[in-house]
Amino acid sequence: MSVDSVFVHKMWNDHELSKMVKGGVPFPMLSDGGGKVGTVFGIYDEDAGVETRGRFIIDPDGVVQGYEVLTPPVGRNVSETMRQVQAFQLVRESKGSQATPAGWRPGKQTLKPGPDLVGKVWETWKTSEAFE
Amino acid sequence: MIKVGKKAPDFEAPAYHQGKFTSVKLSDHLGKWVLLCFYPGDFTFV
Repeated sequence: MSVDSVFVHKMWNDHELSKMVKGGVPFPMLSDGGGKVGTVFGIYDEDAGVETRGRFIIDPDGVVQGYEVLTPPVGRNVSETMRQVQAFQLVRESKGSQATPAGWRPGKQTLKPGPDLVGKVWETWKTSEAFE
Repeated sequence: MIKVGKKAPDFEAPAYHQGKFTSVKLSDHLGKWVLLCFYPGDFTFV
């Protein structure tokens, strides 16, 4: 979503992005004229008249589970976003019985929060895993 | 103000998708995971 019109979205997709991604952008490109939606989400820069690089993870109940906001010159890491979505999905499917420690990726161990784990995380999780 | 753990405000916005002009309403996507990404502008470099 940006403040550009759907007409400009079409030109960008058809003339540049479709050369980077086969078949063009697979998801809807939303237009937010005047930054109304961006303002509600707190990422619209009124001085520059553009949206900043906000990214929101919204769960099936419509609840915001996480967000990240960057200034324009630094791009996102899509893999990290997908890792977070996978982690939130795992937690949701476990109905909150599992949690994903720092550095978790699919396939790595989760934690089962509860009285037995108090003071014992050090036995199963190493700080080096946060950097993996 | 957006807070994690709280409902995202609903909105409806015009969109371009796979060759067609359409409209997207956030609440139409309840039941699915949604990634909502804002960016400064079309034809910008990053």
